[in-house]
Amino acid sequence: MKLTRRKLVAGTALAALATQFPVRMALAQDKQVLFSFPQDFTKIYTFVTSEYSQGQRDYISLVNGRGGINGYKIVAEVSDHANDQPRAIEAYERAKSQGAVLIDPLSTPVARALVPRVLEDKINMITAFSGRSDAADGTVFPYVLPMSPNYWTQAGLLVDYFKQQDGGSLQGKTICFVHIDTPFGKEPLPIFENLAAREGFTFKAFPYTPPGNDQSAIWPQVRRARPDWTVFWGAAVGQTVALTEAVRNGLDMSRVSSSVWLSESDMDVVGRDQTVGVMKVEPCASGRDPKVIQDILAEVVGKGQGAGPEDKVGTSYYNYGVMMAALMLEGVRRATEIAPDGPVTGDWLNAGLTSITDFTAEGLIPPTTVTPEDHQGGGMGRIARWNGEKFEPATDWYQANQDVVWEQIHKYSAEFKATGK
Amino acid sequence: MDVILLAELAINGVFVGLMYALLAAGIVLIYKTSGIANLAQGALAMTGAYVVVMLAGGLGLSMWLAIPLAMAVMFLVGALIERVALRRMIGQPVIMVIMLTIGLEIFLRGLLPGLFGASVKRLDLGIPNAPLFLGDLLLSRALLIGGGVSLALIVLAILFFNSRLGVIMRAVSDNQTASWSVGIRVERAIAIAWGLSATMATTSGVLWGATQGVDWSLSLLLIKALAIAILGGLDSMVGVLIAGVLVGLAESMATGILDPIVGGGTRDVVASVIIVLTLLLRPHGLFGREHIERV
Repeated sequence: MKLTRRKLVAGTALAALATQFPVRMALAQDKQVLFSFPQDFTKIYTFVTSEYSQGQRDYISLVNGRGGINGYKIVAEVSDHANDQPRAIEAYERAKSQGAVLIDPLSTPVARALVPRVLEDKINMITAFSGRSDAADGTVFPYVLPMSPNYWTQAGLLVDYFKQQDGGSLQGKTICFVHIDTPFGKEPLPIFENLAAREGFTFKAFPYTPPGNDQSAIWPQVRRARPDWTVFWGAAVGQTVALTEAVRNGLDMSRVSSSVWLSESDMDVVGRDQTVGVMKVEPCASGRDPKVIQDILAEVVGKGQGAGPEDKVGTSYYNYGVMMAALMLEGVRRATEIAPDGPVTGDWLNAGLTSITDFTAEGLIPPTTVTPEDHQGGGMGRIARWNGEKFEPATDWYQANQDVVWEQIHKYSAEFKATGK
Repeated sequence: MDVILLAELAINGVFVGLMYALLAAGIVLIYKTSGIANLAQGALAMTGAYVVVMLAGGLGLSMWLAIPLAMAVMFLVGALIERVALRRMIGQPVIMVIMLTIGLEIFLRGLLPGLFGASVKRLDLGIPNAPLFLGDLLLSRALLIGGGVSLALIVLAILFFNSRLGVIMRAVSDNQTASWSVGIRVERAIAIAWGLSATMATTSGVLWGATQGVDWSLSLLLIKALAIAILGGLDSMVGVLIAGVLVGLAESMATGILDPIVGGGTRDVVASVIIVLTLLLRPHGLFGREHIERV
């Protein structure tokens, strides 16, 4: 067949159009709750989205396969917004017109763009590990729900762990912070700076240009600053390059850490043996040991109904997806208990989500309590270390420095309330 | 300012610059032959690296078999691009041809991660990451080897343009009609240039892939390569070599000296400032030939 230019253009247009159609995961039921998952499968968040989405879909299949929640089935519409705000807004409006009561865009710029709309439309937006950290303040952001430790909390957890390891004091120590030079990368700066003043350590920040594929001029500066602890903060290629450069510069891996954005596949890229000891913040357990992951393997993947490759089941990002889906569905369960006959609206689900109490997803996540005031869910997490094969917990679930974190949350949410920005 | 740190940044900068220069050499190769600036060179580097990952990781070939095989595949891909897309554009305005290469860049950047998965892939050349100290000075083995290989290949490219085929390519670049009239197969020469350029891009993609992993961001190397090609002169291989060193040095020193003052982000600004200043002050670059057209 001869490939003419017209055929090429038509084929490309068809392919572009095809990606716009969402994947329906459950047939329409009389009693159903519609979730919308427009996420970035093709642009910036590609490093996490496929595994995260796979975890979400597998968990929803698990629950639907068991008959749903108190008579309600969950329908999840998955589509690609490519981190593009107009496309995301289009997907949001489509979801709204179809009756979606929850949206999970998994993208900071998209979540930020959607905040005014969800507040007006009363549709619950999940912003786990993304979006605005000040959305933890439920009194200002009633329909924006991070339900996970935000970046400020993660920074607070790390500093507390460093302090524990150094005998209860960071006085005179140096913490270096290598971060992508974007709003996401700069987000934890105020927490580190506040804690530096309070704990008496020296804080040095080293920004790198996004996406961070060349950091060769940054890390010699870090090494020569002789840090006691080093935190690197980025995503995708920025993380693997940062870790590679840390190894090349001879930094002690047991004193190098990152946020939640570090996964097994990053370790594969850098070298599993070379990164032993490196730390990350864990919002949930990784691996296949948790009961809920075992259930997914038996009841979903084992029956050939998995949403993606079996070898991804139990990776860090897969489990993040399971974690968030479990929280969403726990919200549905609570909502059905509060108002068994609905109607299914954003407010109906919101009442359920904000009454989640001490939920652990059968040991997958720390005890999480979401209230109308605290949308973060308590801010618990743990530190995990890479042992060459997997991330092993170095601490139990705990929370730390929440006073400093909430000071920031209230400061910025008050600013949003006053200015809308 | 710490002198050792400056020396370290300078040495790293030179070797990083040489690695950028290898990609820029591919742009110059095509420009010298067909008078077109190929803006898909970054995507070709990414494609080459993906092919190596596929051959080594997917098919289980040894890395040292996968790399030459990928270079051969990419030579064919380059020649095919010329045959299927570029040759159809003969007679069209140059700007349309450049637009076509931009389209190709965007197409490959979307297609490859779609086919092979968007997560970063490992490309292991067996270069140890362990630090290499010369006194207080730390050198990166990956950059030393990458820069050394790039330097050798650019020198080979300079020598190539003095070979018989190289002279034919220069003749084609100077005047395609006159080349036809003396029996030179112009299309063949241009196709070979595209093939060789894609091969150089593959080498560059492999070297950078070994440094940072393989993902779509390899295509971003285009900006650095473009800055080097423009500064050195789009038709000068020697210019590429020297401009590579200059750009690498400037970026590295800016990161070390300016970033702490202005709060970061100067690295990429350097490349864009170099492009703008060169085009304003010396459009044909440091070593490029000045073309004067009679109107």
